[in-house]
Amino acid sequence: MGINSKTIVRSILIILVTIAFVFPVWNMISASFSSKLAVEEGRLLIPDGYLGNWERALSGSWAEGLVNSLIITISSVLFTLLISFPAAYVISRYHFMADKHIFFWFLATRMAPAAALVLPYLVIFRAVGLWDTIPGVVIAYFGFNIPLSVWLFTSFMSVIPKEIDNQAFIDGYSLWAYFRKIFIPLCMPAIGVVSFFTWFFSWSDMFFATVLTSFQSKPLNALLMVTLGRVGYGVEYGLASAAGVITIIPGLVLLYWAKTYLSKGFTFGRI
Amino acid sequence: MSKTVYLLLPAFLVVLGVGLIPTISLINYSVQTPFGEVNKFVGLENFRKVFFDTRFIEAFQRNITFSALALAIEIPFGIGLALILYEKGKLNTLISMIITIPVLIPPITIGLLWRLMARENGTLRNLMNFLGFYYDPYRVPEQAFGTIVAMDVWHWTALICLVVSAGLAGMDRSPVLSAKTEGATRWQIFRHIELPALSFPLVFVSLLRLIDTLKIYDEATVLTAGGPGQTTEFLSLYVKKTAIDQFIVGYGAALSLIYNLIVLLLAWLLLIVMTKGKGVV
Repeated sequence: MGINSKTIVRSILIILVTIAFVFPVWNMISASFSSKLAVEEGRLLIPDGYLGNWERALSGSWAEGLVNSLIITISSVLFTLLISFPAAYVISRYHFMADKHIFFWFLATRMAPAAALVLPYLVIFRAVGLWDTIPGVVIAYFGFNIPLSVWLFTSFMSVIPKEIDNQAFIDGYSLWAYFRKIFIPLCMPAIGVVSFFTWFFSWSDMFFATVLTSFQSKPLNALLMVTLGRVGYGVEYGLASAAGVITIIPGLVLLYWAKTYLSKGFTFGRI
Repeated sequence: MSKTVYLLLPAFLVVLGVGLIPTISLINYSVQTPFGEVNKFVGLENFRKVFFDTRFIEAFQRNITFSALALAIEIPFGIGLALILYEKGKLNTLISMIITIPVLIPPITIGLLWRLMARENGTLRNLMNFLGFYYDPYRVPEQAFGTIVAMDVWHWTALICLVVSAGLAGMDRSPVLSAKTEGATRWQIFRHIELPALSFPLVFVSLLRLIDTLKIYDEATVLTAGGPGQTTEFLSLYVKKTAIDQFIVGYGAALSLIYNLIVLLLAWLLLIVMTKGKGVV
């Protein structure tokens, strides 16, 4: 009897938690497949199968926005890996004077609120012609992505014994050959984690994307913000929801893989 | 060493370019009043103004209230969930995955999800009205504020749960077992054995969340845009409105620097905590 009532309470709790976490997402998916009237009247439990939102979200300026987002995200990941991997190798192999202070400076760049850093970016980017360009956005993200990546890589690499390096160099490997044949394969898990966090930051940022772009290179999130900002004119929630669904797809695809890294990685990743 | 040190150069240049130069520029702007073409040096006048800026002070107080409320709800929730989900099993794995979904959703989309529910005819509003409560976060400031807190709890409880779970997984279980055989209650076990062992991860994740709640922008801006009135205008939104939308460069820079300093101070605390408890998180 005691066990029974405990199981029932537990089941109810679990069902409630599941509904609380799944329903809001379902609500948005449903809105993306619903006609304007159904969205406005709030009949969203079951979508009416209207595809107009998706047709618009996947064509015209929205399609361009999605392409911009993909270009920005992919190039962020690639360049961040290229720049931070070798730097982390050096840091993990040699000790520096005041490396704790350098470390804090790195951390500080990452921790700074976007709202407090964006003003000089805007002024400088306008002056040098990087404003409203895709490279400009990628460079702005570097400030957040590279410190974190160097840090994650360094903490991973410092566990790999130096003797492996030395033995390889004695065996006649060049640095590049050593990287390619031995070191990079050893670091694959860290490369996965760093790619994940770089992707996540670049894909989900809205702040820099809104301030640093205008017509030429607005990514998806910036377009979504513009749509949601038109309060006085009646927001097109169906269209916004379709775009919103696009923004959550990569995260949901990675959910299972990411979960194994989240507990360790996300604590670092938020920094 | 000399051969490989050039590998540091790209990263060093990037951090210099996107970290140091913008900060120096901010300091440079903050002591001037760039008005049109005429730049006038005004010393610390802009900073003095910040301390008499009621809108800034209100936003700061609001932010602190928000952080305190969000943490006070999230942390017990996260610990509770972690304890419930501690026993391994297929169902628990599935639930821990479900509650992790919000962590992987971009903040702007979190704002959209909640706005869909809180708007007119939104599900949450209909549900509240159905239950007999008047609920309109676009009219009632307290409800707008409460909805933002609820949204943050929904978004981030899973992170606390994950950190606590990792802490529980790493702790020595033998005291728990012997306490059980001696007839300790669940609460006693938690209070006297598990909680002390979790103190480091909890301090760490609390600081992390505190910093994050001070930086909140995307979700809150999408949900309420600072309204009704300015009742949910947080620091980030006020700084952005001043520095970017109105483009008051000198004063905006002073605001940005002070905002930055507040967050940095907490980041510094976090670093101390992290270096002390190395390897625990």
